[in-house]
Amino acid sequence: MAHKILSSIAALALFWVGPAVASNKLIAQGTSVTVAKSPLTITSDREWNKMGARPGRNSETWTIDGDGLNDVTFYGGIENDRPLFREVDRRSKPLPRFSSTMLLTDLPELFENSYSIALHTQLMKIDSVEPMTFLGQKGIRFSFTFTRMNEEVRRKGEASAAIIGGKLFMITFEAPDVFYYERDLPAYRAIIAKAIVGSGSRP
Amino acid sequence: MTACLLGALPADAKESIPILPPYTGAYQPQGVDERGVWMVADEDERMLRDSKAVINDAKLNQYLRDVVCRTVGDARCNGVRIYVVRDADFNAWMAPNGTLAVNTGLLLRVRNEAELAGVLGHEFAHFELRHSLLGYKHKRTAGDIAAWAGVGAAAAAAYGYGSVRSYQSIERSAIGSIYAFSRVQEREADLMSMAYLKSSVYDPRCFADIWDRLMDEADATARGRKQRSARYDRVAFFASHPTSLERATYLRGIAATMGKAGEDDSARFRMALAGWRPEFLTDQLKLNDFEGTDYLIGELAGAEWTADLLFSRGELYRARGNPRDLVSAISFYRDALLQDPTNANAYRGMGLAQLRSRDPAGVETLKKYLGMKPDASDRAMISTLLQ
Amino acid sequence: MLRGVVAAVLAVLLCAMGLSPAHAQEKSATKEGFVLKSKSARILLIRPSIKVGAQSTGGMFEPNADWTAQARENIGVALAAAQNKLGNEVIVAEEPIGQSAQTLADYRALFSVLADSVVTYQFFAGNRLPTKKRKGIFEWTMGPGVAEIAKGTGADYALFIFNEDQYGSTGRKILQLFAAMAYVSVKSGEHKGFAGLVDLHTGDLVWLNADLEMGGDVRTPEGAQKRVAQLLEDFPGSALQPVSAVK
Repeated sequence: MAHKILSSIAALALFWVGPAVASNKLIAQGTSVTVAKSPLTITSDREWNKMGARPGRNSETWTIDGDGLNDVTFYGGIENDRPLFREVDRRSKPLPRFSSTMLLTDLPELFENSYSIALHTQLMKIDSVEPMTFLGQKGIRFSFTFTRMNEEVRRKGEASAAIIGGKLFMITFEAPDVFYYERDLPAYRAIIAKAIVGSGSRP
Repeated sequence: MTACLLGALPADAKESIPILPPYTGAYQPQGVDERGVWMVADEDERMLRDSKAVINDAKLNQYLRDVVCRTVGDARCNGVRIYVVRDADFNAWMAPNGTLAVNTGLLLRVRNEAELAGVLGHEFAHFELRHSLLGYKHKRTAGDIAAWAGVGAAAAAAYGYGSVRSYQSIERSAIGSIYAFSRVQEREADLMSMAYLKSSVYDPRCFADIWDRLMDEADATARGRKQRSARYDRVAFFASHPTSLERATYLRGIAATMGKAGEDDSARFRMALAGWRPEFLTDQLKLNDFEGTDYLIGELAGAEWTADLLFSRGELYRARGNPRDLVSAISFYRDALLQDPTNANAYRGMGLAQLRSRDPAGVETLKKYLGMKPDASDRAMISTLLQ
Repeated sequence: MLRGVVAAVLAVLLCAMGLSPAHAQEKSATKEGFVLKSKSARILLIRPSIKVGAQSTGGMFEPNADWTAQARENIGVALAAAQNKLGNEVIVAEEPIGQSAQTLADYRALFSVLADSVVTYQFFAGNRLPTKKRKGIFEWTMGPGVAEIAKGTGADYALFIFNEDQYGSTGRKILQLFAAMAYVSVKSGEHKGFAGLVDLHTGDLVWLNADLEMGGDVRTPEGAQKRVAQLLEDFPGSALQPVSAVK
């Protein structure tokens, strides 16, 4: 029996080490950094905290007070046939995948379905969809509302996205509808305004 | 609508359905364990009542109430409170305090009132037989045993992660798994529900059909995901149930021995759900289950492809988006429009599929969409695609 | 989405096993410069969130209606007494109906997210945010709109309380023993609580006390008194402790 406990503990240890590896880092005001292991470059207009844990391979999250209160997530060049973020249960809950042939209008649906499957909620919806110029390209901006099944906090969010060279670049923001969304939306918009791909000038 | 499948008379019919006892009214909890369970059930019901996941439509609720009352009789259906939960899973559950929750995924999949009566009657049987408390104690013991055997397994036992569509949050699986029953109890509930059906206006032969279709849908899902079909535990409802094949067989056997015909009321059912089906189909499309959804849409169509089903099929194929899928999608949208030329969204889907296939005809199609729907919420976005 | 992906599986696994990453047990903090003078404030007590039950061997929470009812009663009495001792007036919030009920529900939900964030990202080592690690800084808020829940009460502050008790069953305790032999820490029972004071004029969280291993058996009046004493430990203006910044 001790053996059985030990072996399951060993299995747990392997798993436990994974997500907790990197620590959270400070992004000072006015710095320009690449994010999400990609050429997406962000200039901060205030202090931010960069989370050590990542939603997926080509993504990264920044926060001011903690990701439950304000969450800006960068998706840097999601490739063809890849999901937006890590699949928790690939077998029974596979996430939809980005495709290079997608139209911009397909992106809100990709995002909506990814969230509703990953968070298991039917309470995810896209509220509005608008064209925008993002990263110097024709892009799309959409807003959304969602609630997780085991939480009563209603969250609102906004996303800006473009497809560049067949890859998806997107920056999202989400926060509780009560107070935090309104307060921190400008911080997100400031990030969007200065975001570029690559260190050079916009194409 | 054809009558439900007739089963062969079993060589030796061992199953005997119970005689319905007179109903003495709603039960009140006794003892510490029961009160604890009811407290949770009452709290859960409060959460459910205020939940945004519940569809509060008076007409739909009344219709379901009528079906329950026609199934189990007025004396029994008095203590039941029905909630329609917006969830694409096929499932329904009943808590010991009389809460009956029915998922929209279930309403999408049953074909007629008789099938619905069978499923809801089954849930009511758990309530009448007071299975939930015994199930609760049983779950706890299983958890205890699992803890000794290996701590990881405790998670599965305690939170019911046996089922494949197991994307239940901790909260919801706590609500569901506490009330998961043993196989014996499931069988008892099936037999009881046949007893209700016998005394009701419904055709008891229909109950078996739903299980066949659910099995086939599960097979389709597995095929689509290139997984081995773990056939009988795919859907949440099945997690601790007798195998569906077993079930379909003994239910048909019982119905055959009963020798009772009855109504399936499929016309009334279709009318009650007509307004809801497009919405439920939209939820189903979000699940990222191509083959399962394709199978389901095909089953709903039967011999007759209606405009809404053709449209949904178009959306399904367009979402998967491979080059051949886009071609198929365009033809489905066209067929949908032949039947219902007023469906602006079909023009939208068709235009987007064309554009994605680099067919410039998409521009004209989308202009048609915008012409038909000047107040479209995505007007600005679609317009940019036309430049 | 970060929470949803990374935390989900980990939390379920750990939670189901009753394991938890190493925590210091309790911590409290006050907003810098905040002072609450005795007899000077009206405090609105928001309905505490109280859950009491047993924890089976397998870590499953078994609600117990009698215990919870007792705990609510005992904690209510103990809270009233404790506040009287501190010389501040406590008003118990009424149960609202209609839109007000939704607003209150929204703020109670926001409080638990906020408290959770303070605990995860400031109080306990392991996952702290750089901007929250700084000495003497305690900047957290519910937003000024929180004043809505106290309309008409004349209250200056709102006190939010969250309490959850899971008493380890015998089986659970035995498992704990065996696991210890394998050098694995298995918690038996879980007793956690948060108490937070919000300034209704600004929305700022001026005080939070978090304890993940509370004492006192809340099913008894004495135990509830001890529990409330722990929840309100270092309460600003309390005669027991001077006002201090982050410990």
